[in-house]
Amino acid sequence: MEQLTTSLAPPRAPSNKAAPASSNQQGAGSVTKRLSNELMTLMMSSSPGISAFPKSDGNLFEWIGTIEGAPGTIYAGLTFRISITFPPNYPYVAPTLKFETPCYHPNVDLAGGSICLDILQDKWSAVYSVQTILLSLQSLLGEPNNASPLNSDAAALWNSPDDFKAQLMRHYRPLKDDSA
Amino acid sequence: MATDALRTQVAAKWQSSFVRINRNQPGISGLLSFSQAWDIATEFVRPKDLNVEQPRNYDMKAIQAAYDVVNQSRRLPVLLETFLDQVHQKFYLIINEVEKFITEYERTSDPQVISKLVARLLLWYKTWMPAEELGPTITSAYTLAFQTRVFSALNSSFVQGFKTLCASTLPPSDPTAQAPAPDSALWEAFETLGLLDRYESIIASVGYEHIEAHVLANCTGQWAEPMLEGLRTWMSDKIVPWMLLMYARGATSTDDARAMLQNVGSRFDFHMAKTLCDLRTREIFDIIIDFPESAGALSDLKECLQRVDQRAALVQALRKANRKRLLHPGADTRLILTQYVATIKCLRIVDPPGVLLFKVADPIRRYLRERPDTIRCIVSNLVGDDESGDSLVDESEPIQPLQQPELEDYSDPNWEPEPIDAGPAFRTNKPSDVISTLVSIYDSKDLFVKELQVLLAQRLLAITDDNTEKVEKERRNIEILKIRFGEAALQVCEVMLKDMTDSKRIDGHVQSQKNSIVHPTIISKHFWPLLEASNIVMPGQFQTLQEQYAREFATFKPDKKLRWLPHLGTVHLELQLEDRTIEADVPPLEAAFIELFSEKSVWTIEELVAGVGSVDRMAAVKALLAWVDLGVLKEDGDDKFRLLEVAEEKSTARETSRAAPAAPELPPFSSVQQQQAEQMKVYWKFIEGMLTNLGSLPLDRIQTMLRFAPGYDQTVEQLGTFMEAARREGLVSVKDGVWKLTQKS
Repeated sequence: MEQLTTSLAPPRAPSNKAAPASSNQQGAGSVTKRLSNELMTLMMSSSPGISAFPKSDGNLFEWIGTIEGAPGTIYAGLTFRISITFPPNYPYVAPTLKFETPCYHPNVDLAGGSICLDILQDKWSAVYSVQTILLSLQSLLGEPNNASPLNSDAAALWNSPDDFKAQLMRHYRPLKDDSA
Repeated sequence: MATDALRTQVAAKWQSSFVRINRNQPGISGLLSFSQAWDIATEFVRPKDLNVEQPRNYDMKAIQAAYDVVNQSRRLPVLLETFLDQVHQKFYLIINEVEKFITEYERTSDPQVISKLVARLLLWYKTWMPAEELGPTITSAYTLAFQTRVFSALNSSFVQGFKTLCASTLPPSDPTAQAPAPDSALWEAFETLGLLDRYESIIASVGYEHIEAHVLANCTGQWAEPMLEGLRTWMSDKIVPWMLLMYARGATSTDDARAMLQNVGSRFDFHMAKTLCDLRTREIFDIIIDFPESAGALSDLKECLQRVDQRAALVQALRKANRKRLLHPGADTRLILTQYVATIKCLRIVDPPGVLLFKVADPIRRYLRERPDTIRCIVSNLVGDDESGDSLVDESEPIQPLQQPELEDYSDPNWEPEPIDAGPAFRTNKPSDVISTLVSIYDSKDLFVKELQVLLAQRLLAITDDNTEKVEKERRNIEILKIRFGEAALQVCEVMLKDMTDSKRIDGHVQSQKNSIVHPTIISKHFWPLLEASNIVMPGQFQTLQEQYAREFATFKPDKKLRWLPHLGTVHLELQLEDRTIEADVPPLEAAFIELFSEKSVWTIEELVAGVGSVDRMAAVKALLAWVDLGVLKEDGDDKFRLLEVAEEKSTARETSRAAPAAPELPPFSSVQQQQAEQMKVYWKFIEGMLTNLGSLPLDRIQTMLRFAPGYDQTVEQLGTFMEAARREGLVSVKDGVWKLTQKS
């Protein structure tokens, strides 16, 4: 025996129509709101092996993420730290993601940590969120796109798992408990 | 070796001495008469043994002449010395006697022995006293010598006896007993012998002890009337006359006496106040329990505290008593609250600025904050939902808005500085009403408002049968509470009340369209506290009824959706069985079960539970047993129930056994605590997230980072407690104040 009054329904997610350049302050406010909502969603969802959190309490635009290699893949049991930087006009422009932990992977630049993933470049859409990006990254680890490698050595080795694993472990650095 | 010069000098001295004593008499007749006079004079002042010699009568003229002769020869000082030497030599006589008396006292412990001793000493003293004519010098020298010797002979037994003797002269504290006649002779003797000055502290302690005993005997446990006035009267009637003998001796007029007594009198008065104060301090916890019957004791205490600086002792005693007798798990929260309120009222009498209260209340408040049911207790008291009927709030107290701690108004002409013993955390809290004080136990009134909503929801949903009167009563309550908590805080409650009336209106409309026996209470989910969900699906005709009603509702209010809470409410049933008809008001679950029995007459519990969707097995058994009690069902082997179409013999007996239907249970709302626990789960996710990504963090960083969590309102202390709990569960570990997640193995 319960009545839901529509007038009191929770406010809808911020409208995507607002042009990012229209009002800088309002834009920043709505980006912050979007990011807070994404954080809340991410925290409340329990996707195994992916997580992210703002770096400091003052800045919602810099996050740190953690990805665990999915079980059954060659990356199983390894944990990678990722930095996520959101542009001021997020979500119209994709965030920048970088591996902080060295990651030996066909689509990851071993030295710089930059990632070659289509949804972070030309395929980006405002409907993606931190959670979907992290999930995509997690699956990218197990299923690399060897057609457009950033690390051609890794792409070449992909089909010989033992050698690949050896290279991977040579570069891998386990996470330290460093206070952020 | 004597030179001529020396010889001449000695001769000259000799000559002058001779001339002085011979007083220019012819030949040595002067010398002879001096010698005679010396003998008479020394004999006259010679200390005599009282036990041997009778006092003799002297020829005062001859003695006078003899002294004149001695004086003329300027030998009086020598005479004095001789006399004092003799006193010392003869003093063994007195010492012997003193020892005899003291030995006797030690044997009998009779203060009268001491009294006799004093009298005897006085006799010795007077007998040996040189005549007044000899001038004050010799008298005082004698007195000094005598007292010195006597005091050296008096040991501790004498002191004790002396004390007892003094005490025996005091008026007894029993008012009916005859006071001993003032024995002024005894006191004079004391004074003459110098005992008063020497043993003044002992006499004073006799007075103090007497006062103490009197106060304890008359005031212990007597709290109804102020005692101080009576005690003061007693002092001036009984003690002052006694004091007059000792302290105002030699007073010529009453004014004189008053001036002499002023100093010592105020000391005695102080002691009386202190004794009473100590007594009341010991009794304070029980005095507070007895309040308001103990108002007299409190006004005494107030007056005493102004005279005696025992405030710290009072605070300590009360805190200790509270810790021991009140703030333990065995005490009911209601009881603690009642005692707290009484403490507030009592200490406001004793100390209006509230410093004592602040110090005493602090541990109580901290303890209450830890109790889970404190808020519920206070709130149920606020809405008058109290079985015991004895309310914390004084009915006569005017209802007033909650008082917020306000800044001091220094421009107030009546401003007073904080009392000197106020601690740094002390806030001058204006005498505020009890409810404000209770609500201020918590940092915000939000908790109260939330609990209030839960309570109101329970009470509103428990109302059946269109009982508008009860709704009106709740409305009145809310109106009163609005004055306290403010209009805005109780808006939600307002909506809840409006839902109640709206329900009736909507129901009226729906009924007019299509008559239904369902009368739902329609509540706005957004404004009501979380109701515990239920998965019951009403079977058979109930479901049909619900669906019909929902359809009508949807046409009336197309923008709203009706979601049933089938586990709430009651169902009036009429069961037509083969041999009888049973009418009953039952909870929905029981109705659902009996509805299922209309399909077939034997069901297992599992089948029944499946038939109504999903329900807790315990609840199911309880509902079935209710029907068994009514003689409708019968337990038929393991977990099976059978419908009794024909009543069994014993069923009548059973029916009477269920004399009164159990009181309807209150609808299960999630309490504030449960809601808080839900909130904490959300916060935990955030903490987990930040610790996963940022490594280890100190507590204050976690606290600031938690501002990302919506609605986070915990203090860093609360967070600390929470983290500590998480640590005990093995979720996190802490090292050097830095928290990190425990590695999952």
